[in-house]
Amino acid sequence: MAGLLQNIKLFGEYIPWFQSLREKGLAAFEKQGVPTAKTEAWKYTKPRDLNADDFVIEPSNFLDELRAETEDACGCHHEDCGCGEEGECHCHHEDGECHGGGHCREHELNLDYGVPFDAYQIHFVNGKFIPVFPALPRGVEVITLMEAVLIEEAKEHLGRLVNLDEHPFAALNTHYMEEGVYIRVGKDVKLDKPLMIVNHTDAGGSNLFFNLRNLIVLESGAEAELVEWYKYAGPQKSRYFANIVNEIVLGKGAKLNHNKLQDEAFKANHVSLSVVRQKADSQYNNFCLQKGANIGRNEIRVRLAAENARCSVDTAYIMSGWATLDTTTNIEHLSPCTYSSQLAKGVVGGDARGVFQGKIHIAPDAVKTEGTQLHKALLLSDAAEVDVKPELEIFADDVKCSHGAASGELDEQQLFYMRSRGIGLEEARQILIDAYLEDVVSKVENEQIRAWMKSFVRQSEEQ
Amino acid sequence: MTKTPLLEIEDLHAGVCDREIIKGFNLTVNEGEVHAIMGPNGAGKSTLSNIICGKPGYEITSGSIRFKGKDLTAMSPEERAREGIFLCMQYPVEIPGVPTTTFLKHAVNAIRKHQELPELDTMEFVKLVREEGKKLGIDNEMIKRPVNVGFSGGEKKRLETLQMSILKPALSILDEADSGLDIDALKVVADGVNALRDGKRSMLVITHYQRLLNYVVPDFVHVYADGRIVKSGDKSLALELEEKGYAEFVKEK
Repeated sequence: MAGLLQNIKLFGEYIPWFQSLREKGLAAFEKQGVPTAKTEAWKYTKPRDLNADDFVIEPSNFLDELRAETEDACGCHHEDCGCGEEGECHCHHEDGECHGGGHCREHELNLDYGVPFDAYQIHFVNGKFIPVFPALPRGVEVITLMEAVLIEEAKEHLGRLVNLDEHPFAALNTHYMEEGVYIRVGKDVKLDKPLMIVNHTDAGGSNLFFNLRNLIVLESGAEAELVEWYKYAGPQKSRYFANIVNEIVLGKGAKLNHNKLQDEAFKANHVSLSVVRQKADSQYNNFCLQKGANIGRNEIRVRLAAENARCSVDTAYIMSGWATLDTTTNIEHLSPCTYSSQLAKGVVGGDARGVFQGKIHIAPDAVKTEGTQLHKALLLSDAAEVDVKPELEIFADDVKCSHGAASGELDEQQLFYMRSRGIGLEEARQILIDAYLEDVVSKVENEQIRAWMKSFVRQSEEQ
Repeated sequence: MTKTPLLEIEDLHAGVCDREIIKGFNLTVNEGEVHAIMGPNGAGKSTLSNIICGKPGYEITSGSIRFKGKDLTAMSPEERAREGIFLCMQYPVEIPGVPTTTFLKHAVNAIRKHQELPELDTMEFVKLVREEGKKLGIDNEMIKRPVNVGFSGGEKKRLETLQMSILKPALSILDEADSGLDIDALKVVADGVNALRDGKRSMLVITHYQRLLNYVVPDFVHVYADGRIVKSGDKSLALELEEKGYAEFVKEK
């Protein structure tokens, strides 16, 4: 465990409530340890590389960044980016006050990180925040997690949703909490374009281990679209470990479309937990495309805590080589008249393994609820494997609940039909794979995000 | 005038899983010729067309197939299609989730690429499909639907004919193209096929009944039974078969 538990200096150790949360995280992780093949929740996704002892944790430079910020009256971070530009502020000013969102010219120019559509962008490099804030409309706030801790905005929600005793990596993440953002969309504010969090990893051969913790709060009636993009920028063979936790709170009638693209390097490990708590009439739509990493685990836990809350949790994964891509869900229907649907579809080639563990829990008084779940996989090779574990825990009468699973291969007749028209074998396979994933990718509501996701489905097939 | 051979099959023996279905088949189709192959059910007609097109699962034990002088047996199905062989299938395959336009565009551009022609852009492609589709009574709605999914028998055959019209193959193999068609649909399909007859393109019409041959008139008719050609003649042979049945020829072996 030496690799994952290291004694590094963390920012904010003097804040009692925050430090106590970190200590709870450490204790919970020490108690559970890195999961093994005998850990029920991890029995299909063998943790193999996750307990290696050669991971390197870099201390954050958060302290220095904060200092630079307070010295610069308007918060423009000119010094940080090293552009040397002075005086010209591109911050968002309102009522004679600087609201941050500033970026200097050079950052503005360099900020094209290949984000293919208009979005409010938040960038991390190797798990470290790039201090450039998007110019956000009134009523929307994006600050670093540490600022949110300092001004106590995060106190109400931080750590409240994660059950540390069930999620060892989330416990570890809690122990290291430092990097990440706090996003708040105010009451009845409808964000006009997606918020995009991009993490660029360019870890080279450093075996980096990093933690990101995001807290996302949508107040009642708020609406937003969030995109998480885990993007690899260096040589594909580099190895690192990204450990992500998102805590998401949806107020009454709020709506969040949460999209994620996991496109890590082939030898990387990516473990992510998103925990969502929904109030009445709220809507949470999650879509994730997993296509990178050696071990990739995307875990979604949704608590439908009040009437008429609804969620959809959909995923597509596409993989080959020796990868294991895991989708684990736990949808808790805690109130009457709550609704959930899950569609997971995978395309598995090589010696790869797809894992789907889907749980629907219906609490004793959660009558008139509906929960559906379907997992389908396309196996492209004899050695490809999928392991599916659906679990229904139903403690109420008068509910509708279903689950299903199927796996198959590419249809030889369809392939021949296309080939007999001149379409090459690889192209024909690609067309069929596209068609296979079409219905799940179509769940992405925003047309631009959907087209973007589709382009990544195609890229994976070409690899 | 010397004729240029397009398809040459010599002493072909082939089958599936150690079972020989084609037993010494010989046929030469020259440029511009239309050959009909007629035979009873179970004679191996579909096996023959599948082997020419390279469908996986068949084994050639001896003999040769050449197309434009090249050894066809060494080519993948897509290479054969790009060289100019088209199989109009008896049972066109349904491909759920793939819009017909997408499928057609991939096919047209795969073949154009092979011919070193620039790929068609969307506008050019739509124009081509609209023009050819109109002749076959295929509207835009139909080609937006997934390939063959929910198509009636007639619609499926019209889509096969549309593909043939836009891919313009040197050799079209029509495998029971008339099965499941009423007389109006048959005429539409036959018109599409005849439109491709330009004295250079060739056809191999494989059929059980003589009916289609009233509309697509062949230059040669071959009786195919028990894996080989037992008799060849001109179009009058088809009429003779219609009258007498196959019994006599099957006995001749």
